[in-house]
Amino acid sequence: MSEISCEEVLGEIEHYLHGELDDRRASLLADHLADCPPCFERAEFQRRLKEIVRTKCRSEAPQPLLWRIKVALRSEWRTRGPGEGTPPKSG
Amino acid sequence: MSKAEAARRDEELEARFEAEALPMLPGLYSAAFRLTRNAADAEDLVQETFLRAYRGFHQFEPGTNLKAWLYRILTNTFINSYRKRQREPQTISDDQVEDWYLYSKMAEGGLEPSAETSVLESLPDEDVQQALSSLPEQFRIAVMLADVEGFSYKEIAEITGVPIGTVMSRLHRGRKALEKRLWDVVRERGLVRD
Repeated sequence: MSEISCEEVLGEIEHYLHGELDDRRASLLADHLADCPPCFERAEFQRRLKEIVRTKCRSEAPQPLLWRIKVALRSEWRTRGPGEGTPPKSG
Repeated sequence: MSKAEAARRDEELEARFEAEALPMLPGLYSAAFRLTRNAADAEDLVQETFLRAYRGFHQFEPGTNLKAWLYRILTNTFINSYRKRQREPQTISDDQVEDWYLYSKMAEGGLEPSAETSVLESLPDEDVQQALSSLPEQFRIAVMLADVEGFSYKEIAEITGVPIGTVMSRLHRGRKALEKRLWDVVRERGLVRD
């Protein structure tokens, strides 16, 4: 018999999947999920959904951007050193 | 500090910036695209982020979270200069989206649980990106930082400058809102029975 209810587990599942629960709490949830197919199925759905969002929402930077930024930084470096963009400290 | 010392210090900072900050470009660009919703603004936003970061780099404490620091500059720069140019999506009453929205809808749509995520996996990347981009800004930022960039709640609180409880609430509501948008896409594409 699980130490926590399905309702508690489902209420915390998004924190669990994000690795935000402490070890003790996380292992309680893991034990419950191992014994409870309906909760496991929902957790698995949510886990895969999160993975889909992560992999599909990446956009590749265009190749010339790094070069463009390096050029901008170099010209910044030529005109002034770091720290000179902020007001000098008194004294 | 002598002139020579100052010059050496600058060179060291430049080298460190190139070695440590510039490799974060791919993630920052991706995040910028989610924020601005177009490639041209995303490029400008990333460039401005790096210039600002470089100007403040002497104040950055080595060994602390450089990635979170850069994303904070990115987010602030976006909010302060880019947002004004853009039309924000209309806020919808996402509070009416119940928990397990997508899971339940897909089950009602007659899909086996194992087939549900396959349908989502088959969506073109652009559809999922657009669904995320259509969320109100605060939700979009929270979900992007957590679920795309993988930041912890605590890091997101630092990046966005709000309490952790607010982060959790924005994330919860944002994730639900995203589920609703994804469900709309799945239905529009005729991937399930309505």
